[in-house]
Amino acid sequence: MRVPLSWLRDYVDIDLTPEQLAERLTLLGMEVKDLERWGADWQNVVIGELLTVERHPRADRLSLTTVTLGQGEPLEIVCGATNIAPGQRVPVALPGAVLPGDRRIERTEKMGIVSNGMLCSGDELRLTADGDGILILAGDAPLGVPLVDLYGDIVLDVDVKPNRGDVLSLIGLAREVSAVTGAPVRFPDTDPVEGSTPIAEVLSVQVEDPERCPRFVGRRVHGVAVGPSPELVQMRLIAAGQRPVSNVVDVSNYVMLELGKPIHTFDAAAIRDGRLLVRLARDGERLETLDHVVRDLNPDTLLIADADGPLAIAGVMGGASSEISTTTTDVIIESAIFDPVSIRRTAFHFALRSEASLRFEKGQEHRLARLGADRTARLIGEWAGGDVAAGVVDTDPREPEPAQVAFRPARINRLLGTRLDPGQQVELLARVGITTMSAQPGTAVTVAAGTKPLVVDAPDGEVLLATVPTWRRDLAVEADVAEEVARVHGYERVPAILPHTPMPGHRHDPLRLRDAVRAMLAGAGLTEAVTLALVSPAMVERFPAPDVTVAGEGEPVGTPIVITNPLSSQHSVMRQSVIGSLLEVVATNERHGAESIAVFEIGKGYGRLDGERTTEWWRLGLALTGWAAVPTWDQPGRAFDLDDAKGVLELVASRLGLPAVRYVPVADDLNLHPGRAARATAGAGLAAHVGELHPRTRDALGLRAERIIVAEVAIAGLVGGAPAVPRGETPSRYPDVVRDIAVVVPQVRPAADVVAAVERHGGSLLRDVALFDVYRGRPLADGEKSLAYRVTFQAPDRTLTEAEVDAAMEAITAGVAADVGGRIRT
Amino acid sequence: MDLADLTRDLEALRDETLSAAAAAPDAAAVEALGLDVLGKKGRLTTILRGIGALPPEDRPRVGAVANAIREDIESALADRGTALHGAELETRLAAEAVDVTTPGRPIRRGTLHPINETIAEIADIFGQFGFVVYEGPEIEDDVRNFQMLNIPPDHPARDLWDTLYVDVEGHLLRTHTSPGQIRVMHQEQPPIRALLPGRCFRYEAIDASHASEFFQVEGLMVDEGTTMGDLKGLLDQFARAMYGADKRTRFRPGYYPFTEPSVAFDVECIVCGGSGCPACSRSGWMTILGAGMVHPVVLQYGGLDPERYQGFAFGMGVERIANLRHSVGDLRLYMDNDLRFLGQFR
Repeated sequence: MRVPLSWLRDYVDIDLTPEQLAERLTLLGMEVKDLERWGADWQNVVIGELLTVERHPRADRLSLTTVTLGQGEPLEIVCGATNIAPGQRVPVALPGAVLPGDRRIERTEKMGIVSNGMLCSGDELRLTADGDGILILAGDAPLGVPLVDLYGDIVLDVDVKPNRGDVLSLIGLAREVSAVTGAPVRFPDTDPVEGSTPIAEVLSVQVEDPERCPRFVGRRVHGVAVGPSPELVQMRLIAAGQRPVSNVVDVSNYVMLELGKPIHTFDAAAIRDGRLLVRLARDGERLETLDHVVRDLNPDTLLIADADGPLAIAGVMGGASSEISTTTTDVIIESAIFDPVSIRRTAFHFALRSEASLRFEKGQEHRLARLGADRTARLIGEWAGGDVAAGVVDTDPREPEPAQVAFRPARINRLLGTRLDPGQQVELLARVGITTMSAQPGTAVTVAAGTKPLVVDAPDGEVLLATVPTWRRDLAVEADVAEEVARVHGYERVPAILPHTPMPGHRHDPLRLRDAVRAMLAGAGLTEAVTLALVSPAMVERFPAPDVTVAGEGEPVGTPIVITNPLSSQHSVMRQSVIGSLLEVVATNERHGAESIAVFEIGKGYGRLDGERTTEWWRLGLALTGWAAVPTWDQPGRAFDLDDAKGVLELVASRLGLPAVRYVPVADDLNLHPGRAARATAGAGLAAHVGELHPRTRDALGLRAERIIVAEVAIAGLVGGAPAVPRGETPSRYPDVVRDIAVVVPQVRPAADVVAAVERHGGSLLRDVALFDVYRGRPLADGEKSLAYRVTFQAPDRTLTEAEVDAAMEAITAGVAADVGGRIRT
Repeated sequence: MDLADLTRDLEALRDETLSAAAAAPDAAAVEALGLDVLGKKGRLTTILRGIGALPPEDRPRVGAVANAIREDIESALADRGTALHGAELETRLAAEAVDVTTPGRPIRRGTLHPINETIAEIADIFGQFGFVVYEGPEIEDDVRNFQMLNIPPDHPARDLWDTLYVDVEGHLLRTHTSPGQIRVMHQEQPPIRALLPGRCFRYEAIDASHASEFFQVEGLMVDEGTTMGDLKGLLDQFARAMYGADKRTRFRPGYYPFTEPSVAFDVECIVCGGSGCPACSRSGWMTILGAGMVHPVVLQYGGLDPERYQGFAFGMGVERIANLRHSVGDLRLYMDNDLRFLGQFR
């Protein structure tokens, strides 16, 4: 809320500097987000007096004026306005002046006469809405003085929290100032000067739905003259962020800002018989609102209507037919209380959230209905003339008793960690208008209100009873009183200590396994990315969740989850695979010219199950492209290929203590090269799809790289596990024995088959089998390859004999021949 | 042949060998010379074969003479060999010299994302005070995201969270990590000290200071005697650990429906040091998190008796914490994943 300081001073004296005031209010919970120096953009604009005003010799529509600044030679200034006369004091923009909007004023020639500056309108200074006439200042405005000294102001930008609707008003903020300084609040005079016509003769209001409109206060003013508001009013409204319209309309905005009470005014001529009806809309009814949009109403819309039909959407926006215009003479004032939820729903429904609806939504002090109607009538009388009908129409003049909240000063200290005795707490509460008394014996304390109220008994003498001011709607339970005590006392005075209460027991950190994998991968040269979970429908369709699962982790199941109110279609569905996101990272970095990209992310996929259930699963994704090793001055480069990604999987498996990674070809993942893709598993702990991106997918995404390697990996423990604790076994003291074996197999035979056969037949002494050569070509036949393995044997308790190793090798040789069908090459 | 002759022959061999050694061009020549003179069938052995022709009384003395000569030769050959080896090594090393000023072979280096590293840092700091990590789902129900946090449907406070809704009845993308408070309270009995990091979502157009996806860390501490003073002391410790012990902090009233009293926590502006600048709206302070004493209704929804238990909760935006820590001015940088940006977080 924008609060011009000069206006705020109408309601409370302020002895602090603006900076001090801003800080004190902020520390009280009324955060001043900015202090705007209103008028700081008038540079070199001073107050002058018109000495002469004559017709410009060569232009009928211009005047030639002489202006004195009180000293020095009078200035000749050419002016186009018609409202000027000698003796008036006016704002003069001197050559070199700068006006709002960065408008620069220079000495110029106008129809043969040099103009030494410019006389300013209110609009040019952004002071009033008048752009036609020159702003005529008070007759005693000091000559030669910068205009900012006279009309400059400070505008506080206050962040009013949703629970303090009462402070969406100058009077509300004045009360907070009073809590800081102790200065009394001056409530404005509200009583209008009434004429003789009894209100009952000219206005009636019937509320059909008192739930939604608990109170409606109406008044009527006859014979107003609609025109501009007084300049001071226009200045205040503009500084507060409102556009001046006309005196009658400005009154309602002024009262809304002043008291926090939204007011609506109708042109009485548009209302049948002066009879208003507050009712719900009927299906099929329509209303053209003030913004000239015709709106279809629904039975949830509360209306102000007359016998002819809808006039206004209650609390949200008026109708065009009864809008105040320059021809309006009679005005009907509506100052009503509406159900906050109903207003909020309606405002959302029509996407018409306004300053008025915002205040209604937060709930209105019942009393304000009458005060607002009176104040509006009074100000219309003052600014637009007219005759205020005697009395009010008030559908429910009963004013509710102020609420009372019981509290225990000792409990408040226990919550805050303070030692404020009851007397101090009472004093602090008094500063925000909360009066306190001793509670009757047996008074219970409300600890929690709401659906399951918790009311506790307390020993006599420990309970005080706070009477809540009628404008406060946020104080219901003891904890609310604690906040009032704390904020008036000052949060800065709450002693800071370190917790010395019982510690919870140990709990395993669910991030540990993820952190271990992340650290490992960064060490291996991959950079971690964090990408968006919301993606486009095309992305979700292109990248379904790869079918990789491990026990204990979320399963990639269900249909994609769709956002019902997306910001854009590009971010309207929740992803099911991290690969698409990582390829976007590849694209981004390709655009920046990166020649080597190795990225990973541990992120989630999301799915919608039957009914109302959803599921989320963690996956590791990686993408590699470009140089695995960048060429240097003495080394050729090497590009990433599938084996690099497999190496990463094996590194992760090794870090987590999983068994060796096994691969089987995968040809049915549409995003992967059918001859360069595998399903990888490491025992039950890791499952992945790893492969080269299919050229079609690459092209569809507009990626440039020749080859991009991707993987999506499910790992047991991503959801919250820890890496397995390694066993520290004593290395064997006995030497190992290494033998080589080469097997010639058809080229289509996977190497994994050979290794499996070796392991199957290797016996208990086999320690390791490692591929060290793949050979194709002569003397092998076409379509053959030779796979050479280094096989290691070792026993934990003795040195192996040649005979033992020979026997093991024979078993392997025979087994491989039997299982794989290859021939052994020696 | 007598001893004198033999001795003379030996001495002649010695002299000849010594001068040949001195003239040897390389270590291999020295080695060949050694073999020729001292080998099993070498010249020394050949001379000593003449021992049989000596008178018997001279024979025992030959050994001493021959050993002395052998030692002389061996020592001379060894010296010459060492000298030649050294010279050859020098020559080879000189030939092997490289330009040591060229750069080393690059080793691939990856970096961890500043969002996750900031979460780890936050978890580490609060971990020192006994806070342990919990996680909750990102697709939440309206009940936990709002209603159990004392934000009923159609409550004006819902304006504080512009929400993205999903096509699953009653569900939405969590707008904050606060529903984790409810989940932890349902799962644990006090004393509770919980930290809940995670991804959150808002219906928010993306610009330098707004993101539709962002990360938060929630904290919750509940037991019988946790006070607002504890909250203040703990947050002070956090700010010092994160931004330096010399930074001033400010504890002031805030507003959240799920805390009462509510707190906003400020740190002296990292940019201007408190004197006021555009980054802090000339206030000298930057708000780094919101907090407060858990509202009694929220404790009730968590299954705890608000008359017996009390505690505090806080929530911070990870990007904001990271921005101030790493002087990052634009939120979008985090999700762009430009390697030139990420590579700085070494």
